[in-house]
Amino acid sequence: MNQELEPLSEAGVLTPSIPWDIGARTQRDRILKAMAKSCAKKSFAATTIADIVSHASISRATFYKHFSNKRECFNATVDSFLAELRGSAENALPDGDESVESAIREVIATLLGRLAAKPDHAKLLLVEAPIVDPKLVQHYRRITLAALEARLRAAEVEARAGADPEIAFGRAKVLVADYVAAGKAKELPSLLPELVYIAQLPYLGQELALEQAQLVR
Amino acid sequence: MIPQSEAELPGQGPDGDPPEDLHLWKLPRGRHGLPRELVARSQRERLLAGVVRVTAEKGYQASSVADILKEAGVGRETFYKHFKDKEDCFVAANDALVANLEAHVNETYEQPGSWPERVRRGLAETLNWFAANPAVARVMMIEMGTVGPIASARFRETFSRFTTLLDDGREFIEDAPDMPNLANIAGGAVFARVYEEVALGNIANLPALLPQLTFELLLPYIGEEAALEERDATAQELAREGDAE
Repeated sequence: MNQELEPLSEAGVLTPSIPWDIGARTQRDRILKAMAKSCAKKSFAATTIADIVSHASISRATFYKHFSNKRECFNATVDSFLAELRGSAENALPDGDESVESAIREVIATLLGRLAAKPDHAKLLLVEAPIVDPKLVQHYRRITLAALEARLRAAEVEARAGADPEIAFGRAKVLVADYVAAGKAKELPSLLPELVYIAQLPYLGQELALEQAQLVR
Repeated sequence: MIPQSEAELPGQGPDGDPPEDLHLWKLPRGRHGLPRELVARSQRERLLAGVVRVTAEKGYQASSVADILKEAGVGRETFYKHFKDKEDCFVAANDALVANLEAHVNETYEQPGSWPERVRRGLAETLNWFAANPAVARVMMIEMGTVGPIASARFRETFSRFTTLLDDGREFIEDAPDMPNLANIAGGAVFARVYEEVALGNIANLPALLPQLTFELLLPYIGEEAALEERDATAQELAREGDAE
């Protein structure tokens, strides 16, 4: 979201007038936020356009200027939060030649921090999205594992015999979603050692994965 | 909704004649069947069966109390004598199904054997139970999440009770890692995979996942080498059963 706004502030430097579409962009952001808030409060299924309109303090007509229905708005909210998570994960990657293990620790810590800071969005992504469209889970998994494996391949690390990285993703999702659904999103950073263990288990095996977890305790 | 065939969702009995014994809730049957204990003998049970059938057919959000009444052949007044609202009725039905699954799992888990062997049997029972009851699996795994906060909390409690069985295993094994969420980490592998198969409509595929999921379930407790041995033994046993059939 910050990245989206960047060109606007640059434009503002050149032309002191407010860019023509800043109102529209703010409205759109407000709608996305309202969607996350309403889903966290009463689930996507129970959310109505009226709820979104009321949380965002906009008119129904404004809503329909941005989205043609509730589902389209939901998808945009998920996409925008995913982009935000991806951005912070990329920023967390050390530039130097730190080990792949330390990169994984940094990225997990950063993602947990972002999810803890935005509990409504965390719930939207981890609890609501899989219900709204179960295929979305496979979609995130593909993105996440592709990023992880590219990093690991560069370091010549491969999954161990019998291990399934997709299962690791599933374990992490269940654990994090369990905390979020229980209203414990703020405590997510305490899961760091266990998530490092989960992520490393298919690649390093039980003993070394436990050692990695020990490093972030 | 994943389309269900007629055979899987037999619908209601003859017109205006509520089935005297909703034989196994008129829910999909298979090898493991739906639970004798759940045979509908009372109006309450007819309503529980009704809400599950209606939800399996239309989804929870789209079903109304009127649909449930029609399906169960029970009057509105009776409904409100037993339940506060649709949600209350649905959650009660889910509780009955969970209790049944748990009874099956506990029974096999408590039979003598090594701890990994008992875990494997409990897992096999779970996968077979869901595979034998595809519409029920969908209702319990997917629809339950669309109901609301009470149902979601209940869902988490159920998952946590199942994984607690694993933590009991700490007394049978040495050197289980010291992690507060170890049972969740172990059981999460199974849950994530089962959830996905159910969501995608591959419910019949669940029993075939037993070897891999046995490995994933035991791995955090007994380590890689021992978990791989359990996986291979499980695969051999499945192959033998396949040959025998």
